[in-house]
Amino acid sequence: MADMVSIPHSQPQQHQFNPYTENGGTILAIAGADFSVIAGDTRQSEGYSIQTRYAPKVFRLTDKAVLAVNGFAADGNMFVKKVRQRLEWYRHAHAKDMPIRAIARLIQTMLYSRRFFPYYVYNILGGIEEDGTGAVYSFDPVGSYEREACRAAGAAQSLVQPFLDNQIYFKNQTPAPGTSFPGHLSLSTVLSLVIDSFTSATERHIEVGDGLEMYIVLAKNSPSIQSLRDIRGMSELTATEDGERVFVVRRDLKKD
Amino acid sequence: MDHIDFNRLKTGEVNLGTSIMAVQFQNGVVIGADSRTTTGSYIANRVTDKLTHVHDRIYCCRSGSAADTQAVADAVHYQLQMYTQMSGGPPPVHTAAALFQRICYENKDGLSAGIIVAGWDKEAGPSVYNIPLGGGLFRQPWAIGGSGSTYVYGYCDATYKEGWGRDETVDFVKNTLALAMSRDGSSGGVIRMCVITEEGVERLFVPGNELPKFWEGAEVLGHAKKINQAEGLAPMVVEA
Amino acid sequence: MSVYRSPGFDFSNSTRNNFLLNKGVPLPKATSTGTTIVGCVFKDGIVLGADTRATEGPIVADKNCEKIHFITEGIRCCGAGTAADTEFTTALISSNMELHALQSGRKPRVVTAMTMLKQTLFRYQGHIGAALVLGGVDPTGPQLFTIHPHGSTDKLPYVTMGSGSLAAMAVFESKWSANMERQEALDLVILAISAGIFNDLGSGSNVDACIITADGTEMLRNVDMPNQRVQKERDYKFRRGTTAWTKEDVRKFVVEETVTSTDEMDTS
Repeated sequence: MADMVSIPHSQPQQHQFNPYTENGGTILAIAGADFSVIAGDTRQSEGYSIQTRYAPKVFRLTDKAVLAVNGFAADGNMFVKKVRQRLEWYRHAHAKDMPIRAIARLIQTMLYSRRFFPYYVYNILGGIEEDGTGAVYSFDPVGSYEREACRAAGAAQSLVQPFLDNQIYFKNQTPAPGTSFPGHLSLSTVLSLVIDSFTSATERHIEVGDGLEMYIVLAKNSPSIQSLRDIRGMSELTATEDGERVFVVRRDLKKD
Repeated sequence: MDHIDFNRLKTGEVNLGTSIMAVQFQNGVVIGADSRTTTGSYIANRVTDKLTHVHDRIYCCRSGSAADTQAVADAVHYQLQMYTQMSGGPPPVHTAAALFQRICYENKDGLSAGIIVAGWDKEAGPSVYNIPLGGGLFRQPWAIGGSGSTYVYGYCDATYKEGWGRDETVDFVKNTLALAMSRDGSSGGVIRMCVITEEGVERLFVPGNELPKFWEGAEVLGHAKKINQAEGLAPMVVEA
Repeated sequence: MSVYRSPGFDFSNSTRNNFLLNKGVPLPKATSTGTTIVGCVFKDGIVLGADTRATEGPIVADKNCEKIHFITEGIRCCGAGTAADTEFTTALISSNMELHALQSGRKPRVVTAMTMLKQTLFRYQGHIGAALVLGGVDPTGPQLFTIHPHGSTDKLPYVTMGSGSLAAMAVFESKWSANMERQEALDLVILAISAGIFNDLGSGSNVDACIITADGTEMLRNVDMPNQRVQKERDYKFRRGTTAWTKEDVRKFVVEETVTSTDEMDTS
C-alpha cells in the first residue's frame, strides 16, 4: 500500500510536462474542375471524453480559400488566427485578397518557423486558384506541402484516404472495355462522397462524429451552382461581389 | 534491488486508501474504519465495509490493495473454520493474528496489505494486533492504520487513556476516524464500527452527514466581521 | 514435445515475445477496453445492462456485440475489459457452476460464482483483464456484485463498470431509489447505459438488458437502438470486371467417372 510508508524510490523519476494533446476528428478536401469542397467533423475529444460536440475545424479565410486544421485544437485555433492576421495585413498592403497559391506558401513558412516547437496540426487548404480551377493543398505539421486533387487527414485518415483513392482517382478499378473514367467529378458526386466518407468514419472510428461541416468554394460564374440548389441545410458566406462564392453545409452525424 | 518497493500497487488496482483503527477496553475491543474504496481518483465504492469477519469474536480491519486483503481475509477465515472443527473450540485472537502474519510475511513481495486484527477470546480477553506492510506482528492497546492514520498519531497519543469503558472508547474511535477522514483525501464516506465483547458483536454506523465536527475554519472566515467588531481587530492593511 | 500438456495457460511463447518486445515489435492489440456495463437491484430482482460496442484502440471492431454472458439460468454476468478474457472466464465459471450444481444437487448461488471468479482473477494477479458485473437471483434472494481484474469484489445495490462507468454512475447516483418497480428499474438501466453510449467514446451503439427475478430470466437483446445506421448517399456496387487480373486459370472440380464392368469377384 502506497500510503503507509515513505521509502525513497530506487530510481529517480522524471516527470515532464507535455504541451500537446490529440483532439481527434477528421478533415478532408476534394478539388473539382471549378470548385473545391473542404469538410470536417465537429467533435472535439480527449482520450475517451468528448470536450464538445461542436468545435469547428474548417475556417473561411477569404472568398477563395478555406482552411481545415486537425490535430491539437489549441494549436489549430491559434494557427488559424495567425494566418488570418497575415491575410488581413496583406489586404491592407495590396487592396486585394491573397491568392491561394500564395496562402499555401505563407502557411509553409509559418509552419517551418516553428520547426523545433511545431504547431501540432495537419492543415488542408482548399479553394480556387487564380486561373479558376479548384485546388487542394495539404501540409504536414512542419510545412512540407503539395497540391493535390484530394486529401484526408486526422484520426480517420487511414479509413477515408483509401476510399477516396478508390472513388476519386479510381485506384484499383478498371474501366469497362471501350470506356474511361471521368477526369473531374461533378459537385453533387463529390458532396455525396464527402458525406458518405464521414458517415462511414463515424461508424468505425470512435473519435469521429456529432456534426459535419462542408465548405464549398465555387469559381467565378461556376455552373456547379446548379448542384447546390437542392442541398439541405446550406447557407452562403460570400463576402465580396462578382467573384468566387463560399457556401457551408451543416449535417448531423451519429453522436455515440 | 536494495529494498522492497512498497509503492507497487499495479495501475488500475483497487485501493483501500483508508483510515482504520482498533482499540481495546475493559470488556472488549472497538474497531472502526472509513468506507472509501478508490481506483485512482475515482471512488469505486463509497460505502465499503472494511471491517471483515474472520470468526465469531475476531474481526480484521483491511488497508492496502482491496484484492490482496480480501484474498488474505478469505484464506484466514477458511483456516479458522478448519481450526475450530479440529480443536473443538473458538480460536484465540493471537492465533488468527498469527495466521494473517504468516501469509503477509511469507508473501511480502506480492502483497500490499496492512491489517489490524482485533477480537475477544477467553484466554486473553480483548486484544488488538497490528500487522503492518512487511508482515510484522505487534500487540498494542490501540492501533491505527491506512493512509489517513498518519494525520492522527498525535491526536491518539494525546487522547488515549487506559481504563476506558465502552462508550468512551467508541467516541475515541469515532473522533479519531473523523479527523483522519477530514485530512486524508483517500479516506471518507461513512464510519463503520464494531464493538466486540464476550456477549457478541455490535455494529455501529455513522452516516457521512453526522460525522463529529471539528474546527473547519468557518469561525474565522465566515464570521470575520463579527470577530473584528467584538475584539476590536482591524483588517490587515492592503496596499492600494 | 509430449502430447500431454499441463492444464491452464500456455506460457511457452513468453520468452520469444519478450525478446520481440525488446526488439521493438509491439504486442498485438486485444479488443475492447472501453465499455459501459451496469447492474441494479429492484423490488423483486436484478436488472443488468450493457452497451454493444467493441473497440480495438480507436477503431470500432464490432458494432453490436453481446456483453451479458450466461452463467446459470438465474445468474448472468456483464463483462468489460479485454473481450477474450471476459468471454473465457465467464464460460469457465459457467461450466464449473453447472458441475457444482450437479455435484451438490442444489440451485447454484450468486456468491458461489462470485467466489470462483474472484479466486480465478486473483490467481492471475490482474493479467486476466476482466472487469465484471455479476448479478442474479438465488434461494437467498437477489444478489449483485462487481469483480475487478485483480480479484477484489464489492456488493452494492447499484453498480457500474468499464470506461463509461462514471457517466452511468452519475445517472444512478442522481436517480436510483430503493424498491423500484420492474419497468422503473429497466428504464433507469437504459438511461445509465445511454449516458455511457453518448458521453464515453469507448461505448456506443445499442443497449442490451437482462431482467432476473425468482420467476425467470428475460434477456432483452437490443432493448434500445438509438444509433441506427443512416442511408448512404451513393451505391458502391462495383461493375463486374472492375478488378484487374494478370492470369486466368479455369479448373474443373467435377470428377468424371466411367464405370466399366469387369469379371465378378469370386466370393465363394
